[in-house]
Amino acid sequence: MGQDIKVKTKIGEYLVKAGLLYTETDEWLKVEGNVITLGITDYAQKKLRYVVNVELSEPGTEVRSGESIAVLESVKTIADVYSPVDGKLIEVNEDLRDNPDLINKDPYGEGWIAKIETTSPLPEDKLLSPEAYAEHIRSKEE
Amino acid sequence: MLSVPLLDLQRKHGGNPGEFAGWITSMDYGNPIDEHVKTRTEVTVFDVSHMGRYIIRGGRAFDFLQKVVSKNLSKVRKFFMSGPVLLLTEEGGIRDDVMLYYVDDETWFAVVNAPNVKKDLEWLNMWRERLGFQDVEIEDVTLNSVLIAVQGPKAPEVMEGLGFSDAKDLKILQFVHKPEILGKTAVLVSRSGWTGEEVRSHGFEIWTDIEHGREIFEKAIELGSRPAGLIARDSLRLEMGYLLTGVDMNEGINPVEARYWLALSLDKKECVGCDKVREIYEKGVSKVRIGLRLKKGLRVIPRHGCRIKAFNEVVGEVTSGAYSPILKRPIAMGYVRTSHMYLGSKLVVEIRGREYEAKIVDFPFI
Repeated sequence: MGQDIKVKTKIGEYLVKAGLLYTETDEWLKVEGNVITLGITDYAQKKLRYVVNVELSEPGTEVRSGESIAVLESVKTIADVYSPVDGKLIEVNEDLRDNPDLINKDPYGEGWIAKIETTSPLPEDKLLSPEAYAEHIRSKEE
Repeated sequence: MLSVPLLDLQRKHGGNPGEFAGWITSMDYGNPIDEHVKTRTEVTVFDVSHMGRYIIRGGRAFDFLQKVVSKNLSKVRKFFMSGPVLLLTEEGGIRDDVMLYYVDDETWFAVVNAPNVKKDLEWLNMWRERLGFQDVEIEDVTLNSVLIAVQGPKAPEVMEGLGFSDAKDLKILQFVHKPEILGKTAVLVSRSGWTGEEVRSHGFEIWTDIEHGREIFEKAIELGSRPAGLIARDSLRLEMGYLLTGVDMNEGINPVEARYWLALSLDKKECVGCDKVREIYEKGVSKVRIGLRLKKGLRVIPRHGCRIKAFNEVVGEVTSGAYSPILKRPIAMGYVRTSHMYLGSKLVVEIRGREYEAKIVDFPFI
């Protein structure tokens, strides 16, 4: 496993954790067998700013790749969180209902959003390695 | 894209930078809601150096300004700010609201909104030519100075800690020219700030050179000020019902619709756009700016462009909204048909396809 990456641009500094996969829509995925844990990246939370409300889909919901599974409302804007896979939502982070700012405080840890049991293979071609995601951030900010 | 000169200091104190009006500056310092509350209850420090700053010089500086702004300046006393005044289009639309400072008979300062620094300067220079005021000079000093705001009930203590002894005596919108701060001379210190604290309790703005500004920003934090960013500044100004240029007002909106009475002298005859505004006032307008209060505890935020409805009929649009940590509910401002502007009545705001009841209230919200 590689090292965590600190992406420094003219605008900000963003942590990209090693050992995770990333999407172009700024979600991170931790893959354990056929269960993936999903959250938004440090870059995403910094762009979103302070989160004041999180709407979560109900556990048990069938989700399809590209579908929204949560809505994050921040002081500045609103953002959907998308499932990168087909599967079933098996758990959502209930702590976010009372403490939505966990997403800002600890995006890769206590600010996780949902666990999904996958029913199809991971779309490897659409997921980014930490290095590729770091490059993705740089290209957006330059 | 420019970075504000103190960006590295902001970062050192936890600032999260973002872009605003061509500048990179801190949007928040980790928790904009806490920054908002601290401004109302204790004291915060904002770096607002992204705001534009001009110096207007010449024996006829007053006469010139009198011809290009919406408010009668003859009532502004020396060493006082004008309060917000408008630059109007010839059709009576709002180009910008700016703050003027009466320094001496040959010198006025101006602070303008960041998105309009170039635009306002071009506009003023154009009128200088057209009205024959070539002897009046306008210098844009934005890039070689900074503006630091110390805001909140405990601001006088911080100002005293910075060596500014007149803090408690300064009246709202009064300023001291060339005051001593931390043993050096600043351009000015005023009792102002656009958070509302300048009115409710105390707020000060310090205009000085960059190096001096660094020392002041650091020392203000050392003296207990929580650094605060632009997001908190936005929710603070909204709680006071202050308009944001380009968002709550623009060239397509006139000051009568915006109910920007504070910045108007309706009886003023000779200024760009003044005649038109008086005409509009006489005729009346079809839409007006209102304040909206949503239900306590709701965490949704009305956004620019959200529709305002009376039952099923769209009667207006939100121009800005925020969560008010003081009222613990979402608040918004927007424009509705004049017929629906009835204080205390209820309308509906549509946010992402859902409808929320909202009560029409007057400004300020708190």
